[in-house]
Amino acid sequence: MLPTTGNTPSMKNEANRLTPAELETAWAQCPWAAAAIGGEGTVRAINPAFTRVTGLAADSVLGLSEADFDAHFDAKVLEHRRVETAVGSLRAVHYFRDATAQSENELRLSNTAEVLREPLASIYGFAELLLTLNYDEATRRDLTSTLLEQVEVMSNLINHLLDVSKNGQADTRLEGMSLKRSSDPGDGE
Amino acid sequence: MKRLLIVDDQPNIRQMIRLALQGRFELQEAADADEAYAILLATPPDGIVLDVMMPGSINGFQLCERIKCDARMAAIHVVLVTACGQVSNQELGRSLGADAYFVKPFSPLALARHLTQALIPATGALA
Repeated sequence: MLPTTGNTPSMKNEANRLTPAELETAWAQCPWAAAAIGGEGTVRAINPAFTRVTGLAADSVLGLSEADFDAHFDAKVLEHRRVETAVGSLRAVHYFRDATAQSENELRLSNTAEVLREPLASIYGFAELLLTLNYDEATRRDLTSTLLEQVEVMSNLINHLLDVSKNGQADTRLEGMSLKRSSDPGDGE
Repeated sequence: MKRLLIVDDQPNIRQMIRLALQGRFELQEAADADEAYAILLATPPDGIVLDVMMPGSINGFQLCERIKCDARMAAIHVVLVTACGQVSNQELGRSLGADAYFVKPFSPLALARHLTQALIPATGALA
C-alpha cells in the first residue's frame, strides 16, 4: 500500500492524532525511500531509507529543484510515486522502492504501454488529420505512407514483445528498437 | 501571429503537430530540450508544445520548470505532450507550472483547439 504522510482525515479525534515524535518515527522507519518537497519547490528532507534504496547521498539531492530531483530516477529500476500534500509548508512527498519488488508483469505492462504510445500517437494523429483536413494528393500520399510505416513499427514492437515473452526475458526495455523511420526527414524539412 | 515552439525528438510527432497548427501560428521546432532552451533564451515564443522524455542534458519536466521559474519566460504557455501516462507524472507536470498535459496518443486537432483558445482568445476554436 502506498504510504501516506501526516495525520489523515480518518483520525476522528485528537486522541488518535500522532505526536510529532511518533510522526518522526514513522518517517524514519518507513521502508519506502521518501523525499519531502518544500513549498518553495526544492527537496527539503529525505528519510533514512532513501540512500539505501536509491543509492543517492543526502548531499546530492537536498536543495535540488523538484524537476532536477525527478530526473535522477529511472522508472524501470525504481517504482516511484508522488503524493501531493497540503500539510504545513510541504508541496509533495516522493516515495521510491526497488522496482524488482513489483511483479514482472506489472513492469512489463508499464514499459510496453510507454513504448507503444509513440507509434500509436503518429497513427492516431495522421489518421485524424487525413480524415479531417484537405490536403493535396502529394501530401495525402506522404502522410498515408508515414501512417503505414508507423503501423509497421508498431507491428515490429509487438512481435518483439511476444518474442521476449516467449523467451522469458526480463528486459522489456526494447533497447535498440528504433521508433523512427529510416527515411525520417531532418529538421529542416 | 503568435509564435509556438514544438519540441519532440520524434520527427513524425513534430510533423503531425506542425500540420495541425500551421496557418494559425508562426512555428519553430527543436529536437531536444537543450536546443529548445537556446531558442527560448534568444526569442521567447508565446507557447511551447513540449515532449517530456527526450535525449539531452535535461528533460521536458526540467525545461518546464526552468521556463516557469524564469520571470522572462514564465508567461509562456506550456503544453506537455508525453507517453508518460501515469497520474503521478501529470501531477508533477501541473506542480511545475505546465498549463496543459496531453498523453500520447492524443488528438492533434484537440491540441490545436486548446492552443488556439489559450493564445488567440478572440478567434476561439478551430473552424
